[in-house]
Amino acid sequence: MKWGQYVLGALIIAAIVHFAAIIAVPRVLMNVAMQRFGEDGDNVWHLAERITVASQKIVRSSPDFAYSACVYDLSNGPVVIAAAPWDEYWSLSLYGDNTDNFFVIDDREAHHGAEITLIKRGTPHPDGASMIVESPSTRGIALMRRLAPTASTYSAAADVAREDVCAAVVQPTN
Amino acid sequence: MLRRILAWTAAVIAGVVLGLCSAWAVLKFGGSSFTEHYGHWVFSRAAGSTGADPYTRAIIAREGLLALSAREAVYFSLYTDEHDRPLSESCVYELNGRPLDARWWSVTLYADDNYLARNTDSAHSIDATRAGNDAAWVARISPVRGDATNWLSSREARRGFVIMLRVYNPQRDFHPSEAALPVLTTVSCAGDTP
Repeated sequence: MKWGQYVLGALIIAAIVHFAAIIAVPRVLMNVAMQRFGEDGDNVWHLAERITVASQKIVRSSPDFAYSACVYDLSNGPVVIAAAPWDEYWSLSLYGDNTDNFFVIDDREAHHGAEITLIKRGTPHPDGASMIVESPSTRGIALMRRLAPTASTYSAAADVAREDVCAAVVQPTN
Repeated sequence: MLRRILAWTAAVIAGVVLGLCSAWAVLKFGGSSFTEHYGHWVFSRAAGSTGADPYTRAIIAREGLLALSAREAVYFSLYTDEHDRPLSESCVYELNGRPLDARWWSVTLYADDNYLARNTDSAHSIDATRAGNDAAWVARISPVRGDATNWLSSREARRGFVIMLRVYNPQRDFHPSEAALPVLTTVSCAGDTP
């Protein structure tokens, strides 16, 4: 009976550690990705080099896309994200800190590009914003994909990507 | 008293080790519990979904971080050949595909760590812009190109590899099925008797 309490205790601890690890894995991996993409700071686009063996930063990147990533941080208020249009497929997708893809828009819906105002869920909507998206987390990743399977199309996509915007909204001072 | 402290310490350590090992085992081997199979292709519609349960979310984060939701793209993975053998650099394969009810597709080869195989062949993927999406196509998967028009290099994928099919903007008519997805055939393997 004495040993029973130790075995039971070990099993309870094992269950807690097991579920904690399962819950933590996506957030830990997202934090790693945010550190890698956020080398230039938060709320700024980071244009990834053409995906090669040497440049790949996360698992299963596609060498057929020109990727840009912006680590957004809503702790100081909304962030404006704008995507410049691209002749081929493109999409803007938003990921919360638990990896959920909570928003995506592509060129079928926004042929001439897109501009969104990203706010933390539960905070007031700013006036005048045309498209407001609520993020379930304070931080996360905005990811642009532009179909560019060759070196020349990647180069052209990279030029277009420099027109993208990811910036904190300047709050009016009282 | 000392025995009790030692016993509880051992129980805590055992619990932590058991918890971490069981979580690792789920992440490593549990993917099949949350997926659908079409022939040898493995598919998870939960990728990127906000409705994914914690296990699915953890497995997908490990194998496909920043995946898009199924509305935008669907992903299929191929780990074994038609004989259920793990894909190997020592074999030559042929992948036969047909047009897909989607706007764009690509097939990419990743080493078993889910990163591109560490070769300099620049042959990690083929896609609809090169192979076309209006007629049947064929690709060779092998360490050397030979006379293949469409080639995925498996060179330096030393411990086995995975083939990933991306299907972007799937049409409403797109329903995953064994018949619709590309078919992998083993042409030869090193060591096979002629």
